[in-house]
Amino acid sequence: MKKLLASVLLMTLAPLAMAVEQLHLFIWNDYIAKQTVEDFEKSCNCKLVQGYFTSTEEMMAKLLAGASGYDVVVPTQNAVQALAKQGFLSALDKGKLANFKNSDPAFLKRSYDPANTFSVPYAFTTSLIGYNEQQLKKLGISPDNWSTIFDPKVLEKLRGKITVLDDADELFAAALKYLGYSVNDRDEKHLRQAQQVIIKAKPYWAAFNSSSYIKELAVGNIWVAHGYSSDMVQAKNDAKAAGRNFSIGYALPKQGAVLALDNMVIPKDSKNKALAHQFINFMLDGKNAAALTNEMGAGNPNRAAAKFINAEIKQQKAIFPDTATLTRLETIEATDARQRRLLSKLWTEIKIK
Amino acid sequence: MNNKNRLLIFTALAVYGFLYLPLLIVVVYSFNDSKLNAEWVGFSLKWYDKLFHNNEILSAAGNSLIIAGISALVATVLGTLAGMAMYQYRLKVLPGLVLAPIAMPDILMGVSLLLFFIMLNMSLGLISIILAHITFCIGFVALSVQARMSGIDRSLTEAARDLGANPWQCFRMITLPLLAPGILAGALMAFTLSIDDFVVTFFVAGVGSSTLPLQIYSMVKIAVTPEVNAISTLLMLLTLILITLVARLSPGALRS
Amino acid sequence: MISKSWQQRLLTLPPLGYLLVLFAIPTLIMLFASFRYTGEYGGLAPWYAYKDGGLTLELTLENWQRLFETDIYLRLFVKSIGYAVFTTLLCILLGYPLALMIARSPRKHRDLLLLLVILPFWSNFLVRIYAWMILLSPNGAVTQLINSIRDVFGLAPVSLMYSASAVIICLVYVHLPFMVLPLYANLEKHSSALLDAAQDLGANRWRRFWNITWPLSLPGVYAGSILVFIPVLGMFAIPDLLGGTDGVMIANVIKQQFVESRDWPFGSVLSMVLTAAAVLVVLLGAKFGRQGGR
Repeated sequence: MKKLLASVLLMTLAPLAMAVEQLHLFIWNDYIAKQTVEDFEKSCNCKLVQGYFTSTEEMMAKLLAGASGYDVVVPTQNAVQALAKQGFLSALDKGKLANFKNSDPAFLKRSYDPANTFSVPYAFTTSLIGYNEQQLKKLGISPDNWSTIFDPKVLEKLRGKITVLDDADELFAAALKYLGYSVNDRDEKHLRQAQQVIIKAKPYWAAFNSSSYIKELAVGNIWVAHGYSSDMVQAKNDAKAAGRNFSIGYALPKQGAVLALDNMVIPKDSKNKALAHQFINFMLDGKNAAALTNEMGAGNPNRAAAKFINAEIKQQKAIFPDTATLTRLETIEATDARQRRLLSKLWTEIKIK
Repeated sequence: MNNKNRLLIFTALAVYGFLYLPLLIVVVYSFNDSKLNAEWVGFSLKWYDKLFHNNEILSAAGNSLIIAGISALVATVLGTLAGMAMYQYRLKVLPGLVLAPIAMPDILMGVSLLLFFIMLNMSLGLISIILAHITFCIGFVALSVQARMSGIDRSLTEAARDLGANPWQCFRMITLPLLAPGILAGALMAFTLSIDDFVVTFFVAGVGSSTLPLQIYSMVKIAVTPEVNAISTLLMLLTLILITLVARLSPGALRS
Repeated sequence: MISKSWQQRLLTLPPLGYLLVLFAIPTLIMLFASFRYTGEYGGLAPWYAYKDGGLTLELTLENWQRLFETDIYLRLFVKSIGYAVFTTLLCILLGYPLALMIARSPRKHRDLLLLLVILPFWSNFLVRIYAWMILLSPNGAVTQLINSIRDVFGLAPVSLMYSASAVIICLVYVHLPFMVLPLYANLEKHSSALLDAAQDLGANRWRRFWNITWPLSLPGVYAGSILVFIPVLGMFAIPDLLGGTDGVMIANVIKQQFVESRDWPFGSVLSMVLTAAAVLVVLLGAKFGRQGGR
């Protein structure tokens, strides 16, 4: 008994006892390869301690309440904008980021941080449609169109076999795109139109689902899912590994879609900025960046990574959009309190209709 | 054995079945040779192997046990006092204060405690998590103890008093043993609530003080992998062993 | 000799002090927050400002007014209370026989049987819910069982996943031990002498149950009902994961305010109303219970 207690205690206290330098990373779950973590720990002779969040909102809620102690955070672009305006972020010292030159200019100098003062791109995903290739072929539905999830005529054939993201921002963005507006259109009239589109389509959907659609797709319980590109890669691989008699595909709707660009930033109150820079520089290295794509299926904003990326993944336009595709993708911008309030009201109305 | 008893036992067994049905899935799939948790593919120990090489999750499990143990202990003491007080005296403030934390949505409690701790300039970690867990556990113990007390014969304590026992002896020798099942039920609930809490913990946890639910939530974005099933199975076993040991080492502590 | 008032203080002060500091103060912070403005990007805006050389308060009632602008919040409250009542009744129905059986079993087995009730809940909440998702999925064991029974009666197969039934099943599952444990604690002390006496007087089993066991166990039923009813009101994860497109409950909207919309003041308003409503329902129930008992 005493031994058991001692070992439990040891397990918990071990990181303290070693007293090596620590880097505290606050990041999306499952968003850094295990090997990369080990390589970094070896190179800096330090310990990488990760905290996880599963949505931008969770992360913002925690940081806005004043939680501190993180050295590097990996937020999506609209959160970068919000955090920077609130004065949460410390300016990056580009002199310490030799690998910054690897970043693809197409992903730099965007409106959320025009001079990349606070942020450098880490990886990106797109929001698109994942589908069961055989079932959709049988039904004669072409998945590269938002009508697949919004048009009742199409949905008639998919009733109960489709899930959409449980996320007001993403779903409204998709509906706005379907209507031909920008994902950042905040005109109340247009948002109400989008709300109507969603309400009309809702009876055909099985669920709002942001968490288990990968599995539901790979098992065959649903045929169409609105979700993130990296997840669809996962679903495709899972279905293949399980030896299903169907395969999973994914397509970017031709009306255009949301691009979510995740960035590395350093909070103002980081206690170890030198190590934080060291980490960011490490992740900008081509080989380390490539692991994100090979293991997680994330899109890669790093030019030096290209030669390390598996050939099969490189051909996927949904993950590696060419210039023409890239112009159809939009990033969601930060919203102010009034806009969020309106969106929240519209969303609640949808949910209880 | 008569009919009534047979009907009762049959119903109770069916309810046990209901409780253990999903658990069967959890345990069986932890030995499944497939990542998907969807159908049986073949027997494998690889998830356990993977688990034992995952220091992060093991230390999170250690944290969870420590937090749940301490929170349950303190909440049981405070909750028992509250339950006894609520039954014995007509109090105005305490019953509301005991009930409200049960009624308060987790998120509000998480955010409010986080703001409070930050106001006090307290660093976030195991201590802040334990303080928060005790807060939402007290009510469960108090209500359980109160429900046990109602109907307990007051004449027993009065008789003991007449025989010259002081209040402490009275409490130790008579009230406490009578209350034991209520306290035990309360302690089990407190332990369970603490070891399973995600929402409040998410807010009040600091950097590097992860608990098992936090760790598991970070792993389930791609549905639950069997590794999560494996750690759940192990945690259940470990908890069972720990509790049995505590019961053995201190005979009478858990005896009804 | 400790005087009565000292004894009362000894019992009351430690829990009272703890809850005042770690519950009442943080709650007052949030109550205050419900009168503040949201920050531009979420969180809270400062509640005072220096304007024209003087200090002005930046507080508002608009968050509370929003509650009455539409009836959707009221409808969600009513819907959630309906779910909570239904779940509580089912928990009594399933939990009572189990608690009674444990209380009437031989003394040496009781602790083990009790431990067996709570054991599944030391796994992990999410893992249990995902196990239910497997059981309730179209090819899952429970769905197939129910559909084969329906088939015998010539009824069409149903899909359980993403439905109100799935939500209720899991709500009952998750809260059942919180009914069984306090109930057991109460039932365990009933003396069998009373029942034996009743039997000697010729009362049959049902009369013995309804006239003796049930009334004596009411405090346990009451405690268990509180511990089920109230937490169900605050539950958002189960409707989120299993409810499909119509599953939303009031707690989902509260979570949405704090997380997605980053609208803490309005989230506080909704939480305060929910907490107050729940406490009121319970205290009223206690009052009626006491009067009914007399």
